[in-house]
Amino acid sequence: MAPPGVPTMAEPAGRARAPRINPELLPAAVVLACAVLLIVASTLLNPGSSFVPQLDAVLVTSIFLVVASFGQGLTILLGGIDLSIGVVVGLAAIMVSTLTNGSNAAILWVVPATLGFAAFIGLVNGLGVALARVPPFIMTLASGISFYGVGLAFTTGLAQRPVAPGLVALMNARVAGVPIPVLILLGFVIIATIFQNGTSDGRKLYALGSSPGAARVLGLPIAGLNILVYTLSGLCAGISGILLAGYSSAATIDIGDPLLLPTIAAVVIGGARVVGGRGIYLGTFAGALFLSALETIITVLNLSQGVRDIIEGAIIVFALLLQSERWRVARG
Amino acid sequence: MNSTPPVLEVRGISKHYGATVALRDVSFVLNAGEVCGLLGENGAGKSTLVKTLSGVEVPDTGALFLAGSEYRPRDRNDARRQGVATAFQELSLVSTLSVAVNLFLPDPAVNRAGLVAMRQLERQAARILAAHGVSEIDPAALVGDLALGQRQRLEIVRAMFRRPRLLLLDEPTAALSDRDWLFDLVGNRLAEGTAILYISHKLDEIRRLCRRSVILRNGQKVLDRPVAEMSDDEIFRSMAGRSVVERFVAAPSALRADAQPALRASHLSSDGLEDISFTLMAGEILGVAGLEGQGQARLFRSLVGLYPLRSGRIEVASDGRMVRPQRSPRAARAAGVVLVPEERKTEGIFKDLTTIANVSLPAIDHASKLHFLSRRRERALVGQVIGDVDLPEHFLPLSIAALSGGNQQKAVLGRALMARARCLLLFDPTRGVDVGAKQSIYRMMRAFVGGGGAILFYSTELDELVHLCDRCLVLYGNRIVGELQGPALSQELVLSVAAGHGLERAAVSGR
Amino acid sequence: MSAALRRLGRLHPTGGAVVAVVIFLALYAIYAASEADATSVFGLTNLFNNTVVLAIASAGLTLVVLAGEFDLSPIGVIAIANVVMATTSVGTLGWFGALILVLVIGAAVGLLNGWLVATLRLQSLAVTIGTMIACEGAALLLLPAPGGAVNQAIVDALTGEVLEVVPVALVIIAGVLLVWLVLARTRLGIALYAVGTDAMAARLSGLSAERTKLLAFVLAGVAYAFAGFMLSCQTGSGDPRASDTLLLYMYASVAIGGTSLIGGRGGVFGTLFGAGILSVMQKMLFALGAASFYTSIFSGIIMLVAIFIGNASELLARVRRQRVA
Repeated sequence: MAPPGVPTMAEPAGRARAPRINPELLPAAVVLACAVLLIVASTLLNPGSSFVPQLDAVLVTSIFLVVASFGQGLTILLGGIDLSIGVVVGLAAIMVSTLTNGSNAAILWVVPATLGFAAFIGLVNGLGVALARVPPFIMTLASGISFYGVGLAFTTGLAQRPVAPGLVALMNARVAGVPIPVLILLGFVIIATIFQNGTSDGRKLYALGSSPGAARVLGLPIAGLNILVYTLSGLCAGISGILLAGYSSAATIDIGDPLLLPTIAAVVIGGARVVGGRGIYLGTFAGALFLSALETIITVLNLSQGVRDIIEGAIIVFALLLQSERWRVARG
Repeated sequence: MNSTPPVLEVRGISKHYGATVALRDVSFVLNAGEVCGLLGENGAGKSTLVKTLSGVEVPDTGALFLAGSEYRPRDRNDARRQGVATAFQELSLVSTLSVAVNLFLPDPAVNRAGLVAMRQLERQAARILAAHGVSEIDPAALVGDLALGQRQRLEIVRAMFRRPRLLLLDEPTAALSDRDWLFDLVGNRLAEGTAILYISHKLDEIRRLCRRSVILRNGQKVLDRPVAEMSDDEIFRSMAGRSVVERFVAAPSALRADAQPALRASHLSSDGLEDISFTLMAGEILGVAGLEGQGQARLFRSLVGLYPLRSGRIEVASDGRMVRPQRSPRAARAAGVVLVPEERKTEGIFKDLTTIANVSLPAIDHASKLHFLSRRRERALVGQVIGDVDLPEHFLPLSIAALSGGNQQKAVLGRALMARARCLLLFDPTRGVDVGAKQSIYRMMRAFVGGGGAILFYSTELDELVHLCDRCLVLYGNRIVGELQGPALSQELVLSVAAGHGLERAAVSGR
Repeated sequence: MSAALRRLGRLHPTGGAVVAVVIFLALYAIYAASEADATSVFGLTNLFNNTVVLAIASAGLTLVVLAGEFDLSPIGVIAIANVVMATTSVGTLGWFGALILVLVIGAAVGLLNGWLVATLRLQSLAVTIGTMIACEGAALLLLPAPGGAVNQAIVDALTGEVLEVVPVALVIIAGVLLVWLVLARTRLGIALYAVGTDAMAARLSGLSAERTKLLAFVLAGVAYAFAGFMLSCQTGSGDPRASDTLLLYMYASVAIGGTSLIGGRGGVFGTLFGAGILSVMQKMLFALGAASFYTSIFSGIIMLVAIFIGNASELLARVRRQRVA
């Protein structure tokens, strides 16, 4: 876990100890444990509540962040970033509510259309980054601001419209006592983890993020991988936006803004390296869950918004501190 | 006995990084006006020792003494103030600053207002550079615009011009074409009483400059003796911990009389390449020689599409026909042409991946079904090539960053085999590689051409070219100025042609 | 003059700044052509008043970005500065006392960021999210809802003109530029570029990356606080959420101004014009009668255009330098 810049050392002599488990699982596990502890604490602090419903509640409210930060994690894995996520979430939410307009009839075409549009914004980002070589920070910032304007153009003067009741129901229904959003979340985490760590495409992403220069010499499909990642990020933001619209049963164009920075925080708290090449989705998931649990416990404590913000900010810093401290110990 | 204390005394220093020992109880002394060699394979602890002496790293145990008094540099600046200067192997220059500013970092002179006086700095820098025999570098130029060799000169001048008591030169000739320039400067410093620690891989340099040499192996000092008393074999044995009786085992050429062309370049021209034509035959190791910056890097990169060509044609053998692949590394790889690049750290290895993932990458799609990875199949695929490059199996699950330069290079070569290369472009593959790994690389090269592959091979070490190659092209001023083979392929002749002493291209060609 | 300019070019190798100046002038020309008021003292004052907060904050951000780090905390600092001004500048502290207090707070937050990033080596992109949220919380505690009042003396003085001719905001922006031009020629300025370009090489050259980054964050914190002070003068009251939308536009200003977001290249000069572009564009679109959402769309497009032209001119400059060398 030595950071870059540490000089090459003598390699372990003889039969070296091969790490049995992925060393990146450790930070993920620690953060996940902290998240669970927070949920336990919020249960204890909230008389009359018990662990499982509390867990369900946190999982349901975390799903937007969990889904959106998968895309963010992939872009960060390639050494990039996606700053358009907040806007895409908002646009997807507003699109799905405007087009369904309170009726279930249109869901079947509106949801795919919305996802297509979200993926399209991601595709634009990917093309800009991969083909026009615009730095990701700038490309996604610029496209975010521009598409926000496009969204404004379409919604100016429109009355807010209700979301299709089917989506609202989906976010509130249960199967065998388990909320459907929790099932969606679990499915998503499994698929995302397999994609990132169990497929050849995932391996190529790690390779590209680790050494862009070597990837170029080897002839990895750099442009293709970048386009893939930004498109996926747009798609994830789209899914997140649709779920958010269903959850809040109405949507505004700004609804996704508060999600942007937490997606970055979740990825980094989960142990990823901001300049790319390192990080697993389980860590990001743990980070997202941690942030949501934090939000929940602060709500339970019934604090004023100012105090909540201060505590939340301090805990984010503290979580990062813990990570770096652990690395230092691991390095000896 | 000499009554004045030595300039430097290293007394029992050790340094650990986590579980790895970089230095273990190393002691030696260095006297004024003496140049002492420091030899060792990669990962032997040379760079750690340099960093410790330069104030970049703090030793865990042991003590350092400078002219008799204890020397405990807090940081680089402290070391510099106490008269210790270092030219680092990785070059410590900032590319976005000018030559003049770099020369005077970290504290360029300021005027009374606290502002850095650029013009004055540049004048001063020009004087200093000229005094060190460097006239072709503009003090106002950005370091990022300089060639690698020029940067190395600047790094050396920066370490020298402050008249240090102790001068550390870490692989100073890695990118240097004109070694005599350096040797003269070293001579001047010695005459002034500077003590010099000269770190190098290159035995001939050590023999030429140093009376005495310290040899490190696995972080420990294994030898500290006058160079003249030691044979090459003894030195290699001490460095590698095993006997390397003969560096180059004579082997018959794998080139058959009826060999077919594997790669043909015709009239390649570009910014910095002039009308380059050659044919690489199957079974052939074709050498490329040249002083630093004569177009060799551009040539190698252009062959896989990493450097744009203005005109010319590249053809590759495929199923008995010559085809012209698109100019991209991807298309080149598909056509069986794979480059092993100069910059191993940034372009060779994938530093965050495990060794096995590094090797398997080109075949990763074959190791997966419907995109799902099969670790077992990956392992089996990698198992087919690691034997060919002598990469021990137990390194596979480790992060490649934890391996020595030599083993990293073996992994990179293994990856080239994994990509089913039929034509390897090896750019200085043995740079920064230990003696043992060099032998493995030579063996791998011979086996590769023995199996019908073809190799284009550039090396900064002339003896490699002379012993391994069937033919050798010599580049000068971005064009091919000579082609040597047979008895004409000697170090002396290669060097003389490479230095631009005219030789008609056809003159020594026996073909 | 050409020698001096060349030297300037060497110290700040960026084609982007020039591009920003050109785009700014072009947009201003369109604005002036379609709006009679554009060239009047009133129009200019209005334009620079709209620019000054973004310009100062982005100038501070540029220092951090040059040193190779990110900072998301500025909107937090601006929020605190704003509510502190709104709650203290009228009372016993007076506007000057409040200004000093605000600058000290900015420096303190900068110091905290710098300590976390430079000394403890936390990833700046994430850790400043934490400090940003905490700062916004502090601002909310000080002033839970929009309100308060800013000393009328500075509200009048700093939004008007000097001698009824030169907009005060322009003088302040010029002052920021002057500070930068001096800073860039100090050892700290050189160290900023060195550390941002290659932290390892800078360290081996004897520069302290830790100290340099720490100072960059502190100076940036002071700049954000001053931006918050100017914002307070503009609005005349406090609003803990007033700065929320500023962050993305700050990065836009930095990027349009030709500063590389990975550090080591660029400078405050370009950033000031980047901020100018964003506000003159808004004016221009308004003068042309375009709906307000066009401002967003154009902001993004202008960023991309500026980057494209900046990259192209950078490439040209590089080729020219190499031809000469």
